[in-house]
Amino acid sequence: MNMLRFGVRNLFRNVPRLVVAALLIAFPFFLLLVMHAIGGAVERQTDKLKHNVDNALQLRARGSMGHVNMLGNDDILPQRVLNQVQGIEHVARVEPYLLAMTPTEGHNFAMIVGVNPGDTKRLESHGEAGNPKIIAGRDLTEADRGQRVAIIGQGFAKWAGITPGNLGQATLTLDLTRTHPVIFALTRPPATVKIVGIYASGYVFGDMQLFMPLDTFREIYDVPDGLSWLFATADAADHVPQVERQLRTLLGEAVDIVAPTSVAEFQRSATRAVVRLSNGGIVLAAALLVIVVFFVMLLAVRERAWEIGTFKALGASGGGIVTAFLAEAVALCGVGAMLGALLFSLWGGTLAQRVFGVGVAPFLPAQYRDALAGVLSLSSDLDPAAWGLLATVCLLAALAGSAWAARQIVRLSPMEAVRHE
Amino acid sequence: MSSQIVTDARSALIELRDVAKIYRKGREEVRALDGIGLAVAEKGMVAIVGPSGSGKSSLLHIIGAMDRPTRGEVIVAGEPLNARPEAGLTSFRRKTVGFVFQSFNLIPNLSALENVMLPMEFDGVAGDERRRRANRLLDRVGLAARLGHRPRELSGGEQQRVAIARALANNPPLILADEPTGNLDSRTGQMIYELLKEIAGERTVLVVTHAEGLAQMADRILHLKDGKLVADDPSQGLKKQPVDRPGTTGSA
Repeated sequence: MNMLRFGVRNLFRNVPRLVVAALLIAFPFFLLLVMHAIGGAVERQTDKLKHNVDNALQLRARGSMGHVNMLGNDDILPQRVLNQVQGIEHVARVEPYLLAMTPTEGHNFAMIVGVNPGDTKRLESHGEAGNPKIIAGRDLTEADRGQRVAIIGQGFAKWAGITPGNLGQATLTLDLTRTHPVIFALTRPPATVKIVGIYASGYVFGDMQLFMPLDTFREIYDVPDGLSWLFATADAADHVPQVERQLRTLLGEAVDIVAPTSVAEFQRSATRAVVRLSNGGIVLAAALLVIVVFFVMLLAVRERAWEIGTFKALGASGGGIVTAFLAEAVALCGVGAMLGALLFSLWGGTLAQRVFGVGVAPFLPAQYRDALAGVLSLSSDLDPAAWGLLATVCLLAALAGSAWAARQIVRLSPMEAVRHE
Repeated sequence: MSSQIVTDARSALIELRDVAKIYRKGREEVRALDGIGLAVAEKGMVAIVGPSGSGKSSLLHIIGAMDRPTRGEVIVAGEPLNARPEAGLTSFRRKTVGFVFQSFNLIPNLSALENVMLPMEFDGVAGDERRRRANRLLDRVGLAARLGHRPRELSGGEQQRVAIARALANNPPLILADEPTGNLDSRTGQMIYELLKEIAGERTVLVVTHAEGLAQMADRILHLKDGKLVADDPSQGLKKQPVDRPGTTGSA
């Protein structure tokens, strides 16, 4: 029998004691899994949020606001900005836009937007809103690039007399000599575009807009370069501040940046607070484990000092005896971990919900407390990460908790074999 | 002051030169052994007798490298033990010495067979060979039918026989037995001594005992008193006489 097997067998020498020790060890493992479940649920929730929140930063020419940075205004973004932004780390998507106006009645006007097919159809003055619903016809496609086609809002369509029934044949002629009712003007001939779709935004000014392919826009308005807006979308909400910093460093004085910092702030404050607390709980549980293992193994060494002395008298090396005790400690932690996992699968989800409500939520910023607690999906499923955590903590706690006992073993003399006689 | 009594040091398995063991209890100094000089030949049974506290066990532990002397030289099987590091003493105990304890010291959750295999495991003997040798040794001590029994399922005499088989496991040239009959009745004690006597035909057996009657079975008797070797009686042969009850003190 080798010393590893001997160590594991030693575990079953006293079954009632094994049960008590395993329960004592199971509790911290249970706690550890609860904290892991909370941390995991918050991270999952954050991931979900990342896909549902606006991570896009808006870039405009410095000093320009909203619809003013349109064609006819000298303060549009230079074209090079597009390439510079595309090269920034954590920028997942870059969407360029060109804007112009066309008069309708009196001082009213409609917004003309050049956009790459497939990019977000953003509503002027409400750039954070996008992709209005197509209610008739179709959206712009890649095949439309350079073609004189467009989609328009339902308000604009009504003004122009375009209905779902005449889509495909209906055209709209833009007067380019008046790109703004009072401020800007171009010396360009009128341009006619075919309307292929009508959208609804649910917003009266948003419905007074026309989207055409960006290439078509450049040709019609004779704008070979330059941009009105550039939207840079970060790959994650928590990267928004970093992207913003890089943009400011790179583009210096040339650009105004509108960043959704509240999202990033949420990411930083809520998620980090919970993850830190749950990690703290895991460390606490691991420390508790080490303490329990420490006392159990120290007791074992004290009780079996004569055995250790006998082993040494028979020629066992200190390392071999320590190996047996470490194997026993790891096996003990393993039994405790299994018991903890069983308890967790029975009551973990419920307890995690309560622990989150009582122990974690009070530490969150007030505005997120109830909302986050309400939406978290705390389950008692043991994912591979949980098993990995159990195994790692099991091994580390066994080794750390047995360190002092191992030291005692090494120091014990073979004379212990006869001292108990 | 030395109390050396050296016999036939030239062919000795054990050689002690001016060995002393001094313990300190606060300011008090206890001389467990005081200037022991001794040579013990290969093979044969040597009994160490003396009153309680005379240093019998201390002498045995120093010869067996379980303890280090405060002073003097200890040479066993040609190897000086004084200079050996702890790992060297461990290796020495494993290969050169077999211990038989008064309380048997069998590992309670191992079977008789596993207990006997233990020293071979420490010596790196292959599994099959361990099992084969342990079987043979247990057969030799009359326990072939008790291989799978745990110590608590064995009588005192059987436990001590397992311990003797364990002591022989690595085929050491020296067996050290510290009061091997101290926890046994006289009849069982007699049987154990006879077994040790038989073993002494092939290797050296040193036995610490209080039982004068059993000591008389040895080839040589060393008398200790106050840590000094005071007499060294030559062989008296095996005597089939009424045996002293173990645990009583024999006269030197």
